[in-house]
Amino acid sequence: MKLHCFERTFFHSSSSLTPIQLPAPMETHLWYVKPSEVRSESLLDQYLDILPPCERENVLQMRGEELRKSALLARALVRTTIARYQINSHSNPRSLKFRKNLHGKPEVQWQFRDDRHPPPLHFNISHTSSLVACGVTTNAQIGIDVEEKHRSIKHNILSFARRYFSKHEVQFLAAISDPQVQRMEFIKLWTLKEAYVKALGKGFSGAPFKTFTIRFKGVMEGGFNTLEDLSLKASEIVVDSFDDPTDLTSNWQFSLLELANSHYAAICTEKHGAGSGKRNSPGKLTVWKTVPFLEDECVSGTAAVKVIHGVQ
Amino acid sequence: MASFTASSVSFSAVSCSFKQNKVSSLGKASLSFSGNGSPSRRLPALRFRVSCAAKPETVNKVVDIVRKQLALPADRDVSGESKFATLGADSLDTVEIVMGLEEEFGISVEEESAQSITTVQDAADLIEKLLEKK
Repeated sequence: MKLHCFERTFFHSSSSLTPIQLPAPMETHLWYVKPSEVRSESLLDQYLDILPPCERENVLQMRGEELRKSALLARALVRTTIARYQINSHSNPRSLKFRKNLHGKPEVQWQFRDDRHPPPLHFNISHTSSLVACGVTTNAQIGIDVEEKHRSIKHNILSFARRYFSKHEVQFLAAISDPQVQRMEFIKLWTLKEAYVKALGKGFSGAPFKTFTIRFKGVMEGGFNTLEDLSLKASEIVVDSFDDPTDLTSNWQFSLLELANSHYAAICTEKHGAGSGKRNSPGKLTVWKTVPFLEDECVSGTAAVKVIHGVQ
Repeated sequence: MASFTASSVSFSAVSCSFKQNKVSSLGKASLSFSGNGSPSRRLPALRFRVSCAAKPETVNKVVDIVRKQLALPADRDVSGESKFATLGADSLDTVEIVMGLEEEFGISVEEESAQSITTVQDAADLIEKLLEKK
């Protein structure tokens, strides 16, 4: 696995952010924060301070301290992360403006002095109360989703799958006899489907879950897989869309990771120049664990990042 | 653990009960012909239904389902005005809540409708709309 690892760095200045270069084409950057590791009240105040009034209000409206904290960290993470790339001198997290596209997907509203070319930075965030993540790409749509590994599903897994997932996905889950494994595979599948829909940016109803199948190529063929098949890192994640034949599998690539031993993270990014005949080479992924303004640690290649499928 | 000193927004059930009163007071409205003045010629009372406000029982059932799905502490206020997002529901929770509502009320909710539900009241209103269609 080709991974970049920067030196571990500590910053004691309260407003410093390590500047960083945009990811190369086909490369993805992933930044994450664990709320439990952010304990300083003054740091949280700093995060609140970089938000505009409307975002601050949204954070404070959350019901419950834990929810307020993760909501705050989500906004702080996205602002500080984008600021690091110093696009067109947008290096102040406070001055970034955001808007939603037609379907509600958040995007940066770049302030230009001149012109018409939007900077190539794309981002997407996802958060649970115990982990907040932000993915960044260059010139490629991106969607990410994180879920706690041990998240409880209130409904029967197969009932849920029959209601919301595609037929192939139901078959895949139904073939798993161990309920714990079935639940975890369900969660993995959910994160992958969410990441795809978020990458498309058309909203939940723009690509209803039933209208596409996510499967592990090389595993589904010829009937039901064994547990060993499920752990094949080499197997590729692909998406088949029933409704939209123009949205080819070859347009999207997926990675599925286990983060910090506690969460599944799915990343879906647009592939460019992937025509027929081109070998499917997954892109590079670099992962940082961060406490914005305080410390960044590159965790790619460590136990904090276990690649389940995708990035090789 | 660090805590916020700003006071949190609290939701009151006032507007929900206000709507209820609105319905019942309109429900008591009646028309009468004063043609020949005889009280026996009065038309039966017309019951107006404010179609955008769901019954309190429906709202309460939605609240129960939401409480259970999100495992909310008993002291967390949940009413018609409560937004799912501010209660901490993520997309998987929202889908599970919708599924719970489908099971409880015997209805089927399409993705477009599910996406437009942001509050408990929205969910209750949608449920009643779907029940009426049945």
